[in-house]
Amino acid sequence: MPGRTKRTSPLKAPDRAYLALGLEGSANKLGAGIIKHAEDGSTTVLSNTRHTYITPPGEGFQPRDTALHHREWALKVIDDCLKQAYVSLHDIDCICFTKGPGMGAPLQSVALVARTLSLLYDKPLVGVNHCVGHIEMGREITGAQNPVVLYVSGGNTQVIAYSRQCYRIFGETLDIAVGNCLDRFARVINLSNDPSPGYNIEQEAKKGNRLLPIPYATKGMDISLSGILTSIEAYTFDKRYRPDGGTDNPEDDIITPADLCFSLQETVFAMLVEITERAMAHIGSKEVLIVGGVGCNERLQEMMGIMAAERHGQIFATDERFCIDNGIMIAQAGLLSFRMGFSTALAKSTCTQRFRTDQVHVAWRK
Amino acid sequence: MSLSASQSLISKAAPISQGAEAAIYKVALSSDATPMLLKYRFKKQYRHPSLDANLTRSRVAGEARTMLKCLRSGVSVPGIRMVDATEGVLGIEWIDGQSVRKLLPGGAEDDDEDEDDRLANSDTPEEYGVSADAIMQFIGTEIAKMHLADIIHGDLTTSNMMLRHPRRTGLPVQMFLVDFGLAYHSSLTEDKAVDLYVLERAFSSTHPESEPLFASVLQAYEVGMGKEWSAIKRRLDDVRLRGRKRSMVG
Repeated sequence: MPGRTKRTSPLKAPDRAYLALGLEGSANKLGAGIIKHAEDGSTTVLSNTRHTYITPPGEGFQPRDTALHHREWALKVIDDCLKQAYVSLHDIDCICFTKGPGMGAPLQSVALVARTLSLLYDKPLVGVNHCVGHIEMGREITGAQNPVVLYVSGGNTQVIAYSRQCYRIFGETLDIAVGNCLDRFARVINLSNDPSPGYNIEQEAKKGNRLLPIPYATKGMDISLSGILTSIEAYTFDKRYRPDGGTDNPEDDIITPADLCFSLQETVFAMLVEITERAMAHIGSKEVLIVGGVGCNERLQEMMGIMAAERHGQIFATDERFCIDNGIMIAQAGLLSFRMGFSTALAKSTCTQRFRTDQVHVAWRK
Repeated sequence: MSLSASQSLISKAAPISQGAEAAIYKVALSSDATPMLLKYRFKKQYRHPSLDANLTRSRVAGEARTMLKCLRSGVSVPGIRMVDATEGVLGIEWIDGQSVRKLLPGGAEDDDEDEDDRLANSDTPEEYGVSADAIMQFIGTEIAKMHLADIIHGDLTTSNMMLRHPRRTGLPVQMFLVDFGLAYHSSLTEDKAVDLYVLERAFSSTHPESEPLFASVLQAYEVGMGKEWSAIKRRLDDVRLRGRKRSMVG
């Protein structure tokens, strides 16, 4: 922004190198990562490991089974993470874990691992808001200074902007998250959950070309998605629908799964870009950062890029290593607050399913 | 390719500002004609062309329809001068005056305006021959008339209210509600209460000192709404308690 006075960051340069272990497991991904903040102010990702709980096509992940998966894989994932980083747990400065938001049972199993490690190695704990983790990692990787953030994942859909030590929510979904909408539709048309339902929808959509009318529900800076899911599902009962993709003759009046994926993406992403543009116009920002699992969708990145270019702005996005839930982002956000003197006492190291992005005091930014 | 009538009108119009959804222009059909304001919803390249065309058409038509309904119900809104839904152009009456936001203390402090703008905008309510309290009365009365017609504005802020200058125009001072881009039709108490709550929040964020003035807005609104007021008041108290945002799940 022109004319903005140079502000000094409240975060002091580190007096020595700091290492943090981050543990994430708020949904079906179990992640561990080690980040290093060096004396010269640089940040290095030493390792970033992940294991995803993949369910058969047509099924979602249940909290109980997901928690079981995390418990089974926790030691292996953390072990790999330490090995790749050539770091011992004795060298770590703090152990960061996801406090929320997310699914209760998976969150609890990961928090339990974090607490155990904390007691075994006598390391302080840092509870981290999952959304803030995404934002901080996105800023670190892309170098975006003060962007409007579109956070789109399986559980969250928010347009966020920073103001006075708080990530304020400008717009959000009024019902289900966009990733949830895509995942559930992938189940309806029996797409594989490997590597992720969203990725398979994206590939399928590339083959579609027919835009079917479905609702377009932006409400100011908020959006509504549940009705869209119902209406796109209804097309699978249409007599023109061909689950096998039909013939290759483009003259035929048929609807294929590819057409439905195409229509769903085009409509839903247009809504997301529209509310992001509103927020950018409202606060006068020219940078936009996309984070969260749906953020790796290249069509969404492309549409957002066109919008940003029209506003003479810039788009920042990351690839699947940092977009999809991971441990390293928890380590990054946790270490930032740890360096500001924050840590979570053992008795307070609980987790919560409801934890809004704007409830976090962002002490490390001016 | 020759330009359509709307396109050629825009090409000779003077740009005023650009928001997220539309660009605003000022244009006169001939040199001695009264000017009008053009709200041009330009093509969004990121959107699928047929989706974009559909949205633009329905939004322009919807906004024009809502404004006409307001006019018929006696709500003070600018008159409609032209509608070209296919091209995304809406022409409305030009109001010579100032937005209420700039007239109230605190509202002119906008980061993205330079010094010249601020000098040009140094209007005060006194220059319009009305007190700040009288402006609040205008606001409350107009919103009440609009809600009685079951129209919800959807984006009530002091930026979306214009006061016409009495001396410059030779017409009596009058307040206009503008920008019906997010307006919709509803008779629900909930929607009306949320509409008021949005305005209340806009008041406290842009005009921290004039917050007590919002009480006069509600007073005039109460008079305008008559017996509907008590239900809306109860709902407004509820809305205040819960805020607009829900607690996040998952």
